[in-house]
Amino acid sequence: MTSSGTRWVLGGAATLTGFGVGRMVARRRRRHQPDREGGWYVVHRGITVHRPRDAVIGFWTDQERLDRGLAEWATLERLDDNRWRCVASDPAGGGTEWRAELTVDGPGRLTWRVTEGPIAQRGRVELVPAPQDRGTEIRAELRWRSGRIRRVLGLASRHDPDLALRSALRRIKSLIETGQVLDTRHDPSGRSPKQEQATDRIREALTVGGRP
Amino acid sequence: MKALCWEGVRKLAVRDVPEPTIRSAGDIIVRVRASSVCGSDLHLINGYLPAMREGDILGHEFMGEVVETGPDVRRIKVGDRVVVGSVVACGGCWYCRTEQYSLCDNSNPQPVFSEKLWGHAPAGILGYSHAAGGYSGSHAEYIRVPFGDVGAFTVPEGVPDDSVVFASDAMPTGWMGADFCGLKGGEVVAVWGAGGVGQMAARSAQILGAERVIVIDRLPDRLAAAVQRWGVETINYADTDVLEALRELTAGRGPDACIEAVGMESHDVGPSYAYDKGKQATRLTTDRPTSVRQAIMACRKGGTVSIVGLYGGLVDKFPLGAAMNKALVLRMGQMHAQRYIPMLLDRIAVGEVDPGYLATHPMSLEQGARGYEIFEKKEDGCLRTVLHPQAA
Repeated sequence: MTSSGTRWVLGGAATLTGFGVGRMVARRRRRHQPDREGGWYVVHRGITVHRPRDAVIGFWTDQERLDRGLAEWATLERLDDNRWRCVASDPAGGGTEWRAELTVDGPGRLTWRVTEGPIAQRGRVELVPAPQDRGTEIRAELRWRSGRIRRVLGLASRHDPDLALRSALRRIKSLIETGQVLDTRHDPSGRSPKQEQATDRIREALTVGGRP
Repeated sequence: MKALCWEGVRKLAVRDVPEPTIRSAGDIIVRVRASSVCGSDLHLINGYLPAMREGDILGHEFMGEVVETGPDVRRIKVGDRVVVGSVVACGGCWYCRTEQYSLCDNSNPQPVFSEKLWGHAPAGILGYSHAAGGYSGSHAEYIRVPFGDVGAFTVPEGVPDDSVVFASDAMPTGWMGADFCGLKGGEVVAVWGAGGVGQMAARSAQILGAERVIVIDRLPDRLAAAVQRWGVETINYADTDVLEALRELTAGRGPDACIEAVGMESHDVGPSYAYDKGKQATRLTTDRPTSVRQAIMACRKGGTVSIVGLYGGLVDKFPLGAAMNKALVLRMGQMHAQRYIPMLLDRIAVGEVDPGYLATHPMSLEQGARGYEIFEKKEDGCLRTVLHPQAA
């Protein structure tokens, strides 16, 4: 084969491979994107708590336990029998804060709506008994909107509400099952303050959105 | 306080670090009296698990004295002499309530790494990298133990520190390896590895009813220790074909159960071992499962292979066909410390098993780096180096 023939064959193979890999990456990305419905992103996330449904509901209605559990993370203020106002901040200390209104719609059903925050959000939670006495499934649906440009380009928001939801569910599970949420950020180490900062960023990446 | 820190691949140093404090209501602070090295630390030190950070404090197998307790701690009191399971468990999730403590849902605060690598995140482990939660380890004067009521156990009086320290990890791991075999009495059990865990697995198999236990290693002094302590049979794989020897020792059947107590840096002889070692050194694979392959090949048809050596990632040339066609039962896992420790402490107290002989090299914390070197190179008949952070 002439050298220019070889070049054409190699070039063609490279183009085809590039095209194929690109298509696979795009497909994979699309699979990981949240569903879209009428301009909202929608995700469904669930976690199983090893407690009966009444105990899970009891956690939300026991103000003292709730305040203790949410201490560094959020405050809840009861407005009337079925409505609460929630002020939450980023647990990692990113300075983000949002206010939400929570409404109890029936036994084991709850909806919330963010009234002030970086992103428009609303969601609902349903508590369903888990099979085999495993406890209760907390099933959450979250809807959010991001800025118009990001929406047009199909990009998720910078503050990924899905990651925050997954983290919140893990926290809630831990609080109900153990009364605490563990954190190793202040465990001793032989690191300099600068190395500790870098390690804290890694801890953050290994924590946010993680599921047991 | 002083602590032995990981400073990079194969680099350890003693550093001055802040003392731990109570961070959660269930925490206890333990003044460490004895803290053992473990074969699984070597994988961390040698950089085969990529979640270590410079300055991390190593050590997960330890005992000591409780000096402070959080407001929710009820069972454990200040002044108690305790041994602590290396696996952190909350006691409240479904896994803990069904005694599968190493699968705890709530004890790894940094689950993303494990979730990505393994699909789900098992329990956190003290002093065991950021994949296992990023907890500070026990090679230090003091350590914070979360869920102290679940993980710490008061130890019987009169049992020396260097004996009871192994109830933290080596003993429950060995016991679980034997427990997995489902022994009913009269079986032949083969154990790969005559280190701390293998020695304990061999003894546990005897207690649980095995008629004969055959221990496989390449180090004559470790094999001799197993013979002297527990009267087991041995095979030295450096000069014997293990598969043929096991076949002959069992009149052709093969062992009823095989316990693998070696882990991801298994040794062997021959060209396939050189190939595996090369692949692992260049990070083309994470684990080399030489002894698991051998255990599967050696095990009798329909037998059980129990894996308690540590594996972290991917292996190749895994004889799945042998396991499938011989209808083997494969069981494996990190040990459920909290399930076994109280029972093992009772057995130590009545003298049924005394693991103290594993502590061949007691040392101070300052000698930690040297202690690991002696342990890794198996110099001077070393079974385990045990560090004493309170010693001058």
